[in-house]
Amino acid sequence: MATVTATRWNRYRAGLLTRRFFLHLVLIILGLSMVFPLVWMVFSSFKPSLEVISTEFHLFPQTWTLRNYVRVFDEVTMGRGYVNSLIMSGFVTFFVLVSATAGGYLFAKLKFKGRDTLFFIVLGSVMVPPQIVLIPLYILMSRFGWINSYQGLIFPFIMNAFGIFLMRQSMYGIPNDLLEAARMDGASDFRIYYSVILPLVRSSIAVLGILVFLWTWDEFLWPLVTVSNNEMKTLPLLMAHFTQAEQKFPGESLAASTLVIGPVLVVYAFFQRHFVRGLSMTGLKG
Amino acid sequence: MATQVMSLEKHRRKPLSSFILVVALAVLAYYTLVGIWPFVYNIWLTFRKTDLLTENKWIGLSNYAFMFTDPIFWKSLWHNVYYLIVTVAVGTVTSLILAALIYRTKGVARKIYTAMFFAPVVTSMVAVSLVWTLLYFPKIGLFAQIISGLFGVSRDKLVFLHGTETALLCIMIMDIWRDTGIRTVIFLAGMDEIPDSLYETARIDGASQLGQFFRITLPLLTPQLAFIAAVYSINAIRVYVPIYMMTGSPPGGPANSTMVLTLHMYLSAFYGQRFGYGAAISMVMFVILFGLVLAEIRAFQQRWEY
Repeated sequence: MATVTATRWNRYRAGLLTRRFFLHLVLIILGLSMVFPLVWMVFSSFKPSLEVISTEFHLFPQTWTLRNYVRVFDEVTMGRGYVNSLIMSGFVTFFVLVSATAGGYLFAKLKFKGRDTLFFIVLGSVMVPPQIVLIPLYILMSRFGWINSYQGLIFPFIMNAFGIFLMRQSMYGIPNDLLEAARMDGASDFRIYYSVILPLVRSSIAVLGILVFLWTWDEFLWPLVTVSNNEMKTLPLLMAHFTQAEQKFPGESLAASTLVIGPVLVVYAFFQRHFVRGLSMTGLKG
Repeated sequence: MATQVMSLEKHRRKPLSSFILVVALAVLAYYTLVGIWPFVYNIWLTFRKTDLLTENKWIGLSNYAFMFTDPIFWKSLWHNVYYLIVTVAVGTVTSLILAALIYRTKGVARKIYTAMFFAPVVTSMVAVSLVWTLLYFPKIGLFAQIISGLFGVSRDKLVFLHGTETALLCIMIMDIWRDTGIRTVIFLAGMDEIPDSLYETARIDGASQLGQFFRITLPLLTPQLAFIAAVYSINAIRVYVPIYMMTGSPPGGPANSTMVLTLHMYLSAFYGQRFGYGAAISMVMFVILFGLVLAEIRAFQQRWEY
């Protein structure tokens, strides 16, 4: 009797083990195919162009070369693109963080006449992203004389309704007693915002900062419309040069892609938790 | 009445702080400038024929009338709807399956899987579009080799982005690939919140694994499902980056088989110098997005309360 139960138990365990084995096998295969295009991109960017598109598949380059990277910097002004993209994404992120935290505090904790109307306007702006009002915004920027300028690139993004909304939600939880106490001590609204509120929503700030930076880093349509000058082009615009030529310059376009994706992947490796939390809250760009 | 007077008095007694004044006015001014004014101006533009330089005249509803007879407009609209149906349906189902698989793993293994599936999410859409264009290289590209090797399809038929029937589908596959990780993580977080006791009760009642999934997991993931459906519907109506990057010059090809509303708007305005018509197309997008964004805000609020 005892031996029968023992063999049954063993068989049950063996079944469990094979099921676990297949579960992991399936996940490993799927996971590897998910990252494969990225791995392929990195290794192929070190191949000579003729080797990138060839009927014989090798993941690793037969001959390693840095020629693609050199050409990308020499002929497509990638360096300048980096500077432009960093300026645009950096300033947009900074302004959004300031405006979203100030706006969040305003709508979560302060009372004034017309607050709900104002918040309604903020939410309403989600309905008219730059993509929808592209033409009027373009006209506005050209009246300002901001075509082909950093101001023009940055201005349409410095406040973000989603950011204000996110900050408002995370500030609701801050106890009113705490703010009242600070007010009793004679702190102004600005002082409370700066010394009490901001330190308490640090993790939301990190999440929002990462999101906004990624969105702006990848913003395409607005720079396409406002920038024509090569000196002012951001990375995505420079990448667009390759769409017409990718068949002629496969190595170069992969080197450029690696240069655009690489830094973000490295940062992602370090701040994975913030990335996952932030992105899974929105699921979307812009 | 009495309470109203009292609250008014309270307001009067407490003057607005300079913080409130500055922030509220900044918000109001900014959104008037980049939201309200452009929107009103956009509507006005739809009644005009203008190249922004020399020509600028009132033409009434002609832009809208032209739109109804413009085959490229209808084609674009259909492509957006098609994109919505495929990416939302396929994207949701694949991510649900993946989440259900990863849910069964623990500890380090689970972290590694999540990181692997999530990696494409943080990449730049512009850059991965270029990478996939090369993978889709007709006839001799890597995908052509793999598919002809696995299924014995003749390589000459594998033109991917160069075929009018396959181009949009190939772009959608790339888009689904890129965002699989986000959706999976959202579902996974939802699954983690479902208490084990529910599954135990079901197991005692003799429910199969599949039965448990459909009767417990799926209904309890309703907030996540609604959120993802809303977000990716909006994404599909607004999509243009992968199409611009993967279809070369002119974008939207071959033969307009991947043309979408945003691109049609952009090309009509900035290439065709028909800014009024471009504005009219963007109004159509606005009307579609309006309903979807309302749904998204509701889903978002629910998820926060949840």
